Amino acid sequence: MHRRREKLSTVAGVVALIVLVGLLQVSLRSTSYDRLVLGLNRPMPITKVVDFDPTAITGVVIGAILGGFREVAATMLWLKVDELWDSGRGTEFATLNLMRTVTLLDPHWIEPWRITAWHLAYNLYVETEDPHERAILLDKAVACLKEGISWNPDIYDLYFELGWTYFDKIKDYEEATKWLEACTQFEHPEYIERLIAHAYERLPEIDKALDWYDYCIKRNPGDHTAIGATTTIRERYLRAWRLAQQKRYDEALKELEYYLMVDPEDLIGLHFKADLYERMGQKRKAHDIWKMAGEMRALDDYARYRASLLAAELGLPAPPQPRALMETKKELAVPVPK
Amino acid sequence: MTKIYQLEFGRKQTGVEDLNLEVEEGQIFGLVGPNGSGKTTTLKLLLGLVFPTSGTGEVLGFPIGHPAYKERIGFLPEGPYFYDHLNAVELLRFYGGLFGLGGKELDRRVQELLELVGMWDRRHIRVRNYSRGMLQRVGVAQALINDPDLIFLDEPTSGLDPLGAMQIREVITRIRDQGKTVFLCSHLLKEMEPLCDNIAILNRGRVVQSGTVDELLAGPQGMYMLRAHTVPQEVVESLRSFATEVRTWDSEIEATFADQKLAAQALEAVVEAGGTVRELSPYRRSLEEVFIDAVGGEAQ
Amino acid sequence: MKAIYRVARATFFEAWRRRFLNAILVFAVLIIGSSWSLAYLQPGAELTLLIDIGLGAIRFFGMLIAVFLGVRLIADEMEKRTVHTLLAKPVTRTQFLVGKLVGALATVWSNILLMGIAFYIVFALKAPQFRNMDPEKGPVVRMDFMYANIAKAIGLSFLEVGCIVAIAVMASTIFSWILAAIFSFFLYFVGQMADFFRVLAQNPDRVESAVQRTFFAILYAVLPHFEVFDVREAILKDQFLPWLTLGKIVATGVLYIVIATLIAWLAFKGREV
Ligand SMILES: Nc1ncnc2c1ncn2[C@@H]1O[C@H](COP(=O)(O)OP(=O)(O)OP(=O)(O)O)[C@@H](O)[C@H]1O
Ligand SMILES: [Mg+2]
Repeated sequence: MHRRREKLSTVAGVVALIVLVGLLQVSLRSTSYDRLVLGLNRPMPITKVVDFDPTAITGVVIGAILGGFREVAATMLWLKVDELWDSGRGTEFATLNLMRTVTLLDPHWIEPWRITAWHLAYNLYVETEDPHERAILLDKAVACLKEGISWNPDIYDLYFELGWTYFDKIKDYEEATKWLEACTQFEHPEYIERLIAHAYERLPEIDKALDWYDYCIKRNPGDHTAIGATTTIRERYLRAWRLAQQKRYDEALKELEYYLMVDPEDLIGLHFKADLYERMGQKRKAHDIWKMAGEMRALDDYARYRASLLAAELGLPAPPQPRALMETKKELAVPVPK
Repeated sequence: MTKIYQLEFGRKQTGVEDLNLEVEEGQIFGLVGPNGSGKTTTLKLLLGLVFPTSGTGEVLGFPIGHPAYKERIGFLPEGPYFYDHLNAVELLRFYGGLFGLGGKELDRRVQELLELVGMWDRRHIRVRNYSRGMLQRVGVAQALINDPDLIFLDEPTSGLDPLGAMQIREVITRIRDQGKTVFLCSHLLKEMEPLCDNIAILNRGRVVQSGTVDELLAGPQGMYMLRAHTVPQEVVESLRSFATEVRTWDSEIEATFADQKLAAQALEAVVEAGGTVRELSPYRRSLEEVFIDAVGGEAQ
Repeated sequence: MKAIYRVARATFFEAWRRRFLNAILVFAVLIIGSSWSLAYLQPGAELTLLIDIGLGAIRFFGMLIAVFLGVRLIADEMEKRTVHTLLAKPVTRTQFLVGKLVGALATVWSNILLMGIAFYIVFALKAPQFRNMDPEKGPVVRMDFMYANIAKAIGLSFLEVGCIVAIAVMASTIFSWILAAIFSFFLYFVGQMADFFRVLAQNPDRVESAVQRTFFAILYAVLPHFEVFDVREAILKDQFLPWLTLGKIVATGVLYIVIATLIAWLAFKGREV
C-alpha cells in the first residue's frame, strides 16, 4: 500500500518534471526574445577567437572561467601591459598578445582597442624599415579597429581612431572621410567635422570640404580654424571648382595656375590640378603632376598612390609604391553605418 | 523481511535474511547478536532509513516508513552525532520542535530529560566538544523528547561509564514500567539479561533463537546448581561421581545435579567437610552460555 | 511546513558558522568595498570597472558559496549521520530535502544581501562623480536608470545563485560531493558560455561538420542558461529594464530552481541513509 504510493509519487514527479521543462522552454524563449530586443546579450568574444593565436584563446578561456569577473581580469592584464611597457618591453610580441587578450576579454573597453591599434600603426611601424612589414602592421591596426567598432558600434571613439589612422598614417583620404563621417551620428567632439573637411580638401572635393567648414562655422561662429580655411579655399579654389563642375576645364586650370604661381607647392592646389587633368582625360599629364606632388612631400602617400594607379593604366614604369595604402585598400569588413 | 545491501561492482552483502520478529507492547525487547549480525540493519529497516529488499513490516500498526508512527517513537542511533554547533538545550529544543512541542512545556521537558541523563550541569557545552559518553547521554535524552510509546535504542550504554550505564538501564526499566515498549540492540549480554523481557538472538542476519528471557535461560527441568568454596579436594572428587558437571576455580566450585535429591546429598557432604555453601538453586543458564550455544562455532 | 521550517532554520544557522564560507564572504565584501579604489586602474572607464568589480564579485563569490554549501548540504548529514536521528523524527525525506535547500537558499541569499548592500553603498557614494551632462567635458553619462538597474541586477544575482545552490544539491544527491562540486562548477562556467554554442551551432562557416553543429545545438539546449541573469548591458547603456522582462527572467530562474529540486527529490526519495 505504502510502496504503491511511493511509486505513484515517482511517476507524478517525472510527469511534473516534463511539464516544468516544457514551461522552461517557453519562458527561456520569451526571455531570450526580450533580451535580443533590448540588446541585453553580452558580446561573446570567444566567438571571434577561432582564427586567433593560442595565447589569446587561453586568455578567453580563463575569462570564461572567471565568469562575471571577466572585465576585472581584463583590467589586471592591462596593468601587466603597462608594466611591460614601462620596462621597455613594449615592442615585444608578448605585449601585443597581451593587449589582444585584453580586447577579447572585455571588448566593450575602448582603451585597449585604441592603444593596440596605435601600437601597431605607430610604435611597431617605426621599428621596421621594410615597407611590406609596415603595410602589414597598418593592415593589422585597421583590422583591430574595425573589430573594435563591431563590438562598439554606438560610440564615436573607434570610428574616429580608424578615420584618423587613414588620414594621418595611411593618407587614404577617401577612407578617412568615410569613417570620420560615421562619427558624426553619435555624440562627438567638435574637431571631427574640421578633420572631415581637411580630408575632403586633400582629395580634393572642394565643395564637400566647404560644406563641412560651413557647418562648423554655423555651429560655432567663433571657429577660427574653419573661418580661415573657408576663406582660403573660397579665394583660391572655389571658382576653379565651379568651372570644372561645368566641364570648363581650361578656364578652371587657368584659375588654378594663378594661385599655383603664388604657392607652387600647395598640396591642395597640386592635387586639384592633377585631378583636373585626370578628368580632362590627360592621364599622362595627371600622372606627372601626382608624381611630382609625391616627390615633393615625403608624406604625400596619397599622391604617390594616385600616380601609381595611373602608371599602371598607362604602362609606365611604376614609381615607388606607397604599399601601405595599396594593401589597406580592400573591401571593408564592417559596413559604415549611415 | 530480507535486506540485501548492494555494494560497488554489483557485489551484495546480506544485512538481514528472512527476519521474522514480533514485539509485544509494554515490554523490553532485546536483539542480541555478534558484530555484523544485522542488529542495526533491523533498526534501520523499522525506521524506514533503508528499504527492505523483500518483505514488509509494521510499527505501531503502520507500514514501515509511514510518517504517522514517527510521532510516537524515539530512536537512539548507534554512535550518535548531532548538529555540533548546538548545545544540549538547543539540540533538545530543536528535536522537540520537530514534534510540534514548544514553550514552557518543552523547556520543562528538556530540563527533566537532561537531569535524567545527567547532562543538566553540562548543558551549555556545545556538541562539538562532547565526549563519547556525553553524546550517548544526550542521544538517549533526544530519543525521549516526545515521550514516545516505542523507543529504539542501538547499543545505548556503549561508551558510558559504569554509573552512566546504570542510570540508562534505570531509565529503560522506568520507561517499560510506564507501559511503553523498548526495542534494545546490544551485544552486552550481561547487561541485557536482567533488563529484557524478551530476547531474540541474531546471527548472520538470521534469528537463531528467541523467546522470553526465562524461557531462554531455563535449564533442563529439575536440575539444581550448588556453589560453594573451601571444599576439600577429596569431597570435590566424590561430588564428581554423582554430579552432572563440576567446575572449579581457585577455591570455588560450581556443580550441577540432575535432581533435588542428589543436590541435597551434595549439600550435606560439603557442609560436613567444613566447606562454605554460597548458593543452592534451580539451575539457570547465563545468557552468555545460551548465546554461545546458539551462535556456536560459526560465530565470526 | 513546520518541519521544513525547523530543518531550514537549523541549516541556516549551521551554515553561518562555517568558517570557510564566512571567509569567502569577508573577502568578497573587502573586494567590493575597495572596488572604488581599484576602479581608477581603468582610466576612462572607472564607472564601468566599479560596476564590473561589484557585480562580478557578488556573482562570483556568491557562486563559490553556493557550490560549496550546496554540495556539502546532504553529504554532511550523511557523513556525520545526523540524518539518522532527523529522519527518525516526524520528518519525511521530502521535508528534509526541501528544508535543507530552503536553509541553504536563505544562507546564500543573506550572503548576497550583505554583498549587495556593501556594493550599493559604495556605488551610491562613488558613482555621482562620474555623472556628466556636459558634452564638452567628455562623453555624456546620464545615469537615469543606473541606480534602479544596479538594484535589479543584484536582485537577479539572487536568482542566479539560487539556481546554483539547487543544481549543487541536485548533483550531490546523484554523485559524490566532490564530483557534484566539479559538475556544478562546470555547469556554471559552461552555462555562462551557452550562447557560444548557439553561435557555433548556427554557423556553418565556422563549424563545417553537421554532426558537430548538432552536438553544439544539443549542448545549447541542455545547458542551463546562466546568461539570462546578466543585465550588465542595460546598466552600461543606461537603458530602462522593463518589469515584464525582469518578470520573465525571474520566472526562468524559479523554474530552474524548481526543476533542479524536483530532480534532487526524485533521486533522494528512495535513497538509503
Ligand atoms: N550501508 C551498508 N552497505 C553495505 N553493507 C552494510 C551496510 N550496513 C551494514 N552492512 C552489512 O550488513 C551486515 C549487518 O550489519 P549491521 O550494522 O546491521 O550489524 P550489527 O549487528 O549492528 O553489528 P554491530 O554489533 O557491529 O553494530 C554487516 O555484514 C554489514 O557489513
Ligand atoms: Mg550495530
